[in-house]
Amino acid sequence: MHHATIVLWLAFAICALVAEFVFAQEPATRAETLQRRREEKAQHLQPPKPGRVEKTLLDLESGRLFERLLNPAEGLYPRIGNITSGSGFSLGPGYRQAGIFGGHANFSTFAAVSLSKYWMLDARLHLPRLANNHAAFEVHGQRYDFPKEDFFGLGPDSRREDEVTYGLGNTVVGVTGAYKPTPWLSVSGAIDHLQPTINARAEPGEILSLFSDGQAPGVLDQPTFFKYEAMIDVNTRQPRGNPRGGGRYALTYQRFNDTDDNRYSFHRVEADVQHYVPLLRDRRVLALRGLASFSDADEGAEVPFYLQRTLGGPDDLRGFRHFRFRDRNALLLQAEYRWEIFTAVDGAIFYDTGKVASRKEDIDLHDLESDYGIGFRFGTINGVFLRVEGAFGSSAGAHFVLRFGNVF
Amino acid sequence: MSSNRLPTLVALLCGFLVINGRSATPAFFPDDPLQIDADTALDAGKAVRIDGSNAFDFAEHTFLKPGDHRDIHAVNVSTIDEVPDSTWFTNRIGRRAMSIDEIVRGPNTETVPNVDDWPIVEGKSSGITPGYRIEGPGGRLYQVKFDPPSNPEMASGAEVIGAAIYHALGYNVVQGYVVEIDPTRITIAPTATAVDMRGNKRRMTREDVDQLFARGARLPNGKYRATLSRFADGKPLGYFKYFGTRPDDPNDIHPHEHRRELRGGRVFAAWLNHDDSRGLNSLDMLEGPPGRQFIRHYMFDFGSIMGSGSTMAQVPRAGNEYILEWTPALKTLATFGLYVRPWILVDYWEGAKSVGRFESDFFDPVAWRPEYPNPAFENLRADDAFWAARLVSKFSDEAIRAVVGKANYSEAGAADHVATTLIKRRDKVVRAWLTGVNPLVNARLAADGTLTFENAAIDAGVARPGASYQLTWSRFDNATGAAVGTSEDTRSTEPRALAPRSIVNADFVTVIVRTIHPDYPTWATTPVTFTFRRADTQWDTVGLDRNGSSSVKNISAP
Repeated sequence: MHHATIVLWLAFAICALVAEFVFAQEPATRAETLQRRREEKAQHLQPPKPGRVEKTLLDLESGRLFERLLNPAEGLYPRIGNITSGSGFSLGPGYRQAGIFGGHANFSTFAAVSLSKYWMLDARLHLPRLANNHAAFEVHGQRYDFPKEDFFGLGPDSRREDEVTYGLGNTVVGVTGAYKPTPWLSVSGAIDHLQPTINARAEPGEILSLFSDGQAPGVLDQPTFFKYEAMIDVNTRQPRGNPRGGGRYALTYQRFNDTDDNRYSFHRVEADVQHYVPLLRDRRVLALRGLASFSDADEGAEVPFYLQRTLGGPDDLRGFRHFRFRDRNALLLQAEYRWEIFTAVDGAIFYDTGKVASRKEDIDLHDLESDYGIGFRFGTINGVFLRVEGAFGSSAGAHFVLRFGNVF
Repeated sequence: MSSNRLPTLVALLCGFLVINGRSATPAFFPDDPLQIDADTALDAGKAVRIDGSNAFDFAEHTFLKPGDHRDIHAVNVSTIDEVPDSTWFTNRIGRRAMSIDEIVRGPNTETVPNVDDWPIVEGKSSGITPGYRIEGPGGRLYQVKFDPPSNPEMASGAEVIGAAIYHALGYNVVQGYVVEIDPTRITIAPTATAVDMRGNKRRMTREDVDQLFARGARLPNGKYRATLSRFADGKPLGYFKYFGTRPDDPNDIHPHEHRRELRGGRVFAAWLNHDDSRGLNSLDMLEGPPGRQFIRHYMFDFGSIMGSGSTMAQVPRAGNEYILEWTPALKTLATFGLYVRPWILVDYWEGAKSVGRFESDFFDPVAWRPEYPNPAFENLRADDAFWAARLVSKFSDEAIRAVVGKANYSEAGAADHVATTLIKRRDKVVRAWLTGVNPLVNARLAADGTLTFENAAIDAGVARPGASYQLTWSRFDNATGAAVGTSEDTRSTEPRALAPRSIVNADFVTVIVRTIHPDYPTWATTPVTFTFRRADTQWDTVGLDRNGSSSVKNISAP
């Protein structure tokens, strides 16, 4: 046999043996095929490793941080939001304790300070389930300081260029009682002791540089007040935090008694009517609001400027500065068309109009200030967490609104 | 032979052997078609618990599209395109006749328990539905979940109906019962804990329980109706994802997004409006003795199916649109709401609060969607949907009405509305998906060479009779996986035909069947290939290939 042929046969034999060995490793059944894949995987097992973002979100959910931020029921939480109109973004610690005094009372308190150095301390003891859940009672105390409140003068003809600021402080202690014969009807009363202070200076840009006590009643001295309030509130909004139907119809009477020398005693009657017209199975809503506020000073007394009704700002006339208009009487009409864009976001087109007047008979539909705009609301079907709006068409130019909570 | 040609010859020889080596994997193994996938074989005792974040799950599935989205055949099916039994799925109504009693009983092994005086041992740890956990006889743990006050009987009814149907389909589900809780017969174990708003555990008090009752639906008899779910056997390991595999489970080798029973789950979810069908509503349990432990996979929480949204009536969007779906959202935004999504205008029956919002007229089984994208659902192909629709078609009207009876709806008309709606939705599901592929099933080749098969769409009444069949017969080489020799064509106007004599003397026979139907021209272009293996004097059906199946994106609802 030729040498090369021998080599060839030898190579064939070796290859055949190798092939036989290789083929012997091939699975003979489907089950064996799967078993081998599993055995192969068993060599490389590792525990599941959530990513950093996933782990963070899981920790946040486990710690219920979202609930504590958005709707805390108890415990220490960061209170985020506005203190008052114009305060800017504020932050501070809050604390709630539910079920104290045998489970009948809830306690809540917070301290907050804003970027504009506004601050507020607030504490409340609330008994929400009295008289078989038909009555509630609250004791509250509040201390705040708003160092740069805007003032443009009184009346509908106040001028934008007269803008000045003043500081407003107040200490409020009071009680509130409410009776709710039905879930939609509430009759309530409140008594508060108010101790306001005005920080007024004559430097440029400050209130006394342009306005006297006659033009801004109460700017030079502030008495303490007892405030008495009675309210009937019919509330059929559904759902309450982001209404798609129903309405809220509230009538309020307030009496402010100057406890010093009665120079600033007055009373106020206010009607706030909100109505929501559901459209397209609640996916669109026409939201309407009318507010009329009338204040009457006692004989020889004045209504202090810092307790007068104001218009202007992100909750009423959105195309104007905070507190742009101020007087004894006010009228506000608002209309919004809201439409659901997707589950968590609504769009809104709005129109606001209103006026202030020193005399009740001047509250009519003539010479109204107005604005219109468009905005977006972020939240859930049960509540608005944040709204972003652009207001245009007013005599004061365009305004941008970024606000926690719904407008009405 | 010159010495310089020797290396070439050796190389050719080795190449020949390699090619032969490849062909050593046959098209059909002796144990095909596989009836059981032995995914309990290796010890999974080292697997650890996986907890999921709702926010991350939503964001990941909405924005990142996880998983493999190739348009490929389901990876865990047998060679006859069926799902083998496994820790994921046990063929029940799809493989054998189930009595109505068996369907209604579902996973339950007990009569409805009387839970009076069973101690509460801890609060409910997850989910938005108010409830707690109680300990039954023998220390077995149960979870109690209340119906919402706005819709008494709704969530508990949905829970037991869903569990019974999913069980009959083949999934693992936990035992669930409708019970009435007497608030005067509550006991709280001394060791019972509740989690406060700070996330801290503390001792549970009667006030905690009363607050839960306040969020539940009170019956006229003063009791509270609830779902009682029995904890599954084993150690909880969290949930499974609808994509990838568990990296700590050696038995889990099939990517979940390509598992037939998870892809087909979209069809079942659509039928039942199970919009909350996501990974976080699943459950992995570690079972077995140490050293031989394995993971069983459960479907979990059916409180948000049909017209129930667990804590309120189902929202109209459910099943019709993802929570975040850009196209309709942008249309609505750009038109200031003048564009109206069609589902907004749907009318719902309002005769019973316990039904919630459940309808069948607007329902589109192809367009149906869960709350947010599900990778397995998105991978649904026509053959997956066909498999699922066949299971749905097995539920008779009587069986559906009997299952609905399990909910014990007390409001007049409620049970009838739910059952009628389920029946109408079933018919739509079957009509949509049984006609989406060439619907031939159950092929048999008799010893005398007579082929019989069934047309599932015609048999289910969703396609009219009148189909004819073109058959192409061949011998089949199991080693190469290809037809060999000359093929022969035959025609038949019946779902039966005689195999050519020249073909049936082989060990393997394959026949390609095209269905000619005037209403479904695609049945002719998407043939079904059946393969038979000789077994003594008989033939075993070992292969079923629906060659033309593709992503459901190419299929329109009728």
